[in-house]
Amino acid sequence: MIRTPLRPLARILTARARGENPDAIERENIRRRHEEMQARDRARAEGRLVVLGLFFLAGFVTIGLRMAHLSMSEPEEPVAANRSHGITMQRADIVDRNGHVLATNLETFALYAQPPQMVDPIAAAKQLKNIFPDLEEERLIRDFTGKRKFVWIKKRISPEQKQAVHDIGDPGLLFGPREMRLYPNGRLAAHVLGGATFGKEGVNAAEVIGVAGVEKTFDGFLRDPANEGRPLQLSIDLSVQDAAERVLEGGMRIMNARGATAILMDVRTGEVLSLVSLPDFDPNDRPRPAVSGDPSDSPLFNRAVQGVYELGSTFKIFTAAQAVDLGLVNPDTPIDTRRPLIQSGHEIGEFRNKNYGPTLTLAKVIEKSSNVGTARVAQMIGVERQKQFLRDLGLFDPTGIELVEARSGRPLLPRQWHELEMMTISYGHGMSTTPMNLAAAYATIANGGHVVSPTILKQTEPQLGPRVMSERTAAAARAMLRQVVAGEDGTASFAEVPGYEVAGKTGTADKPNPKGGYYKDKVIATFASMFPASDPKYVLVVTLDEPSIHAAGRVRRSAGWTAAPVAAELIARVAPLLGLRPRVEPGQRAGITLTSN
Amino acid sequence: MSYLEYRVQSVPTGWRKILHLNWPLVVLLMGVAAFGFLMLYSVAGGSFRPWAEPQIKRFVLGLFVMFSIAMVPIWFWRNVSAVAYLGSLALLVAVELFGSVGMGAQRWIDLGFLRLQPSELTKITMVMMLAAYYDWLPAERISRPLWVLVPLVIILLPTYLVLRQPDLGTAILLMTAGGGVMFLAGVHWGYFAAVIAAVVGLVAAVFESRGTSWQLLKDYQYRRIDTFLDPSSDPLGAGYHITQSKIALGSGGWAGRGFMQGTQTRLNFLPEKHTDFIFTTLAEEFGFVGGASLLALYTLIIIACIVTALGTRDRFSSLNTLGIAITFFLFFGVNMSMVMGLAPVVGVPLPLVSYGGSAMLVLMAAFGLVQSAHVHRPRQK
Repeated sequence: MIRTPLRPLARILTARARGENPDAIERENIRRRHEEMQARDRARAEGRLVVLGLFFLAGFVTIGLRMAHLSMSEPEEPVAANRSHGITMQRADIVDRNGHVLATNLETFALYAQPPQMVDPIAAAKQLKNIFPDLEEERLIRDFTGKRKFVWIKKRISPEQKQAVHDIGDPGLLFGPREMRLYPNGRLAAHVLGGATFGKEGVNAAEVIGVAGVEKTFDGFLRDPANEGRPLQLSIDLSVQDAAERVLEGGMRIMNARGATAILMDVRTGEVLSLVSLPDFDPNDRPRPAVSGDPSDSPLFNRAVQGVYELGSTFKIFTAAQAVDLGLVNPDTPIDTRRPLIQSGHEIGEFRNKNYGPTLTLAKVIEKSSNVGTARVAQMIGVERQKQFLRDLGLFDPTGIELVEARSGRPLLPRQWHELEMMTISYGHGMSTTPMNLAAAYATIANGGHVVSPTILKQTEPQLGPRVMSERTAAAARAMLRQVVAGEDGTASFAEVPGYEVAGKTGTADKPNPKGGYYKDKVIATFASMFPASDPKYVLVVTLDEPSIHAAGRVRRSAGWTAAPVAAELIARVAPLLGLRPRVEPGQRAGITLTSN
Repeated sequence: MSYLEYRVQSVPTGWRKILHLNWPLVVLLMGVAAFGFLMLYSVAGGSFRPWAEPQIKRFVLGLFVMFSIAMVPIWFWRNVSAVAYLGSLALLVAVELFGSVGMGAQRWIDLGFLRLQPSELTKITMVMMLAAYYDWLPAERISRPLWVLVPLVIILLPTYLVLRQPDLGTAILLMTAGGGVMFLAGVHWGYFAAVIAAVVGLVAAVFESRGTSWQLLKDYQYRRIDTFLDPSSDPLGAGYHITQSKIALGSGGWAGRGFMQGTQTRLNFLPEKHTDFIFTTLAEEFGFVGGASLLALYTLIIIACIVTALGTRDRFSSLNTLGIAITFFLFFGVNMSMVMGLAPVVGVPLPLVSYGGSAMLVLMAAFGLVQSAHVHRPRQK
């Protein structure tokens, strides 16, 4: 590039000769060169800006034209009308296991007008205003006398209103049949049913589509005309569900909990007879999803299958059962429970910082719920075997129950699973699952060692999966669980229901603080149980979110004080409905009668 | 070469700066926000709750933020660009880490009074960083390959982090806005031609490969593309939004059904009617007139930004202002195109109208930078 020199020799010499400062010439030249550079820069920048401007312009024009095009197009209702014969009417009913209706359809009508066919639009508008006070008369008149060929007036009207509109007698006012989903039991089993809404809409029909729960999972089935109106039969038992909801609602209030869930499951089929999650909602008037706040506080949140919680000491029985199954210990083996037990710089602590002395038998470790003892047992098992066993019990995956919400209830596992994690998980901390996962795992212990997968559909025969522990192990585990309720040191003595031999395990886990760490005063209290212990038919899991009561002189949050008594009340109410006869446990009674005589 | 601190003496000082703000821009922003309040009031069924009231509060806060930023000289903002950029990158990484510890997909960080989406913040800090970079870089180096690589890294780092969330809409926005700033800075045409050619080639290859042995995408991904090209093929699935919003636009007609009279939105046919799809409510209730007015307001905002950019003399002020204008344009351009079926549905809100705190505050902060450039522009003697 050829540049003009900054100090042209000739001019400098002339300047020197004249006695002027030659630097002034250089400064002047530098200034000029800068200005040229600036001008070049600017020219290019402005060129680029013009291109950008054109790009903006193209964007605005495209959007504007599209907007104009769409607004000028005919309103699409008539088009939808042509398609409406493709909409299948008559969504199938949903019934409970005994055939009681849970969801059905109601015939209603939609009201629309075809202004060109109207005889007296002004009078019709006046009379419509009388029937439906919320309509605006001027607006109706404008719509009826304008150019529009089609006007929706009301999407849902009652039979009385329909008759009244008939009486106006205007041929331009027409009705389209509408099928509306109705849940006659209101809030009952709301989280199972989910809800439905209108989908595609035409003049002569509107499609009802499921938005949550079984309505969404089985949307295809419910709409399939090939089923010829066969209802969808669920495993839910309406009367059991009702009793469970009432008890849990009362229990939640007494225990001052912010939420609660209960699952009652048949141990051989995996059928869920009752699923309650509180707070709940009325599927007839499904609330909008909240825009702010924690979604798990929403009434739409199904705690049983979506809520992923650390379920605490309820896990201890899995550790004990596995150790027994592997032949490492039996229920009478003494376990070292000395403190402190330090692992990787963390101490394994006990509830309320208790100390259970040097040794306890395995059965007592479970009965008293010793973390240290359980962690020692886990050390015998080892990381890999522990992982495999919990995976076999189905605690690593969503449960597969046929509710759309369940797909998001994926258990949370620790990133690394070393010695420390192995120990904490052995007593149910550091790993989160849904209450439904827990219920299925307890069903395995209850039915003699077979995996079952939870289902919401009625089954006719047992659905036992592969065996994960021996019959003997399962029986030993049940005996230990029975002692948790019946034993003198048991943590769940409040769960005893005379005659129904409740066996189960409490679990109290501190709630994780979203800001890190755990809350000191907020817990998830769980009681997982089975009854009757000698030949269990049902598993019941009750979980309370942040319970706290004032009892025996201080604030109690542990599951033994909160979830266990609620579960006992629930069992006492539903067991008779399930056809179980109360039975006095053999042996015990005989002993009492003999000595008292 | 930077001309900052150029005739600083002529810049107004103290409270007098308020007189020298780009007031037309302030009025325009208020106008657009007012559209938003009206619509949020309407979709809530004629109620300030649950959307309009928090939105108004946030807008007032946003105005305050904008004025505060405008009071601080633009060269201060240039000097902190790198810090801001690295800070927002760190936040993105933080969301990545905490997002997997907490439950579900978290895109935001809770500041107590508001939830901040770092991806929103990044849109602005990236533009600032690029503008500061070109402000520092001597003009003759701009098109050298090595010096083109640096801004590419500046753009692709946050894009990658955002894609992992995953948030395709923001990623596309970041890349386009970044490319726009590079273009304005004067990077050689050839680079852009090459990138465009590569993208066109890739798209062609994707379509060409369908059904052959070397198919590039999964079948379901092709089906999504099909749905975008012809929404009526899947009216209840992925095409649902578009079909419903087209009906809303069509039934709005010329002047609309009137305030609070939109049936399509009122009867809950449209999900997200208060966020990404709020434009349908506007189009249904105020028709073409309403939609075009909003578009005109947006156009005027862009023009106001360009006026500010033309008034400045240093590269940072002009590139930053124009970069913000591009980002803003992309926001509403993508959103409106998406709603009207011109672009696939990616989650981009309608700026200053859609319900949402992060986007609004970040945009107001960005306009604060524009104002600062306007206030501190050099003046004739």
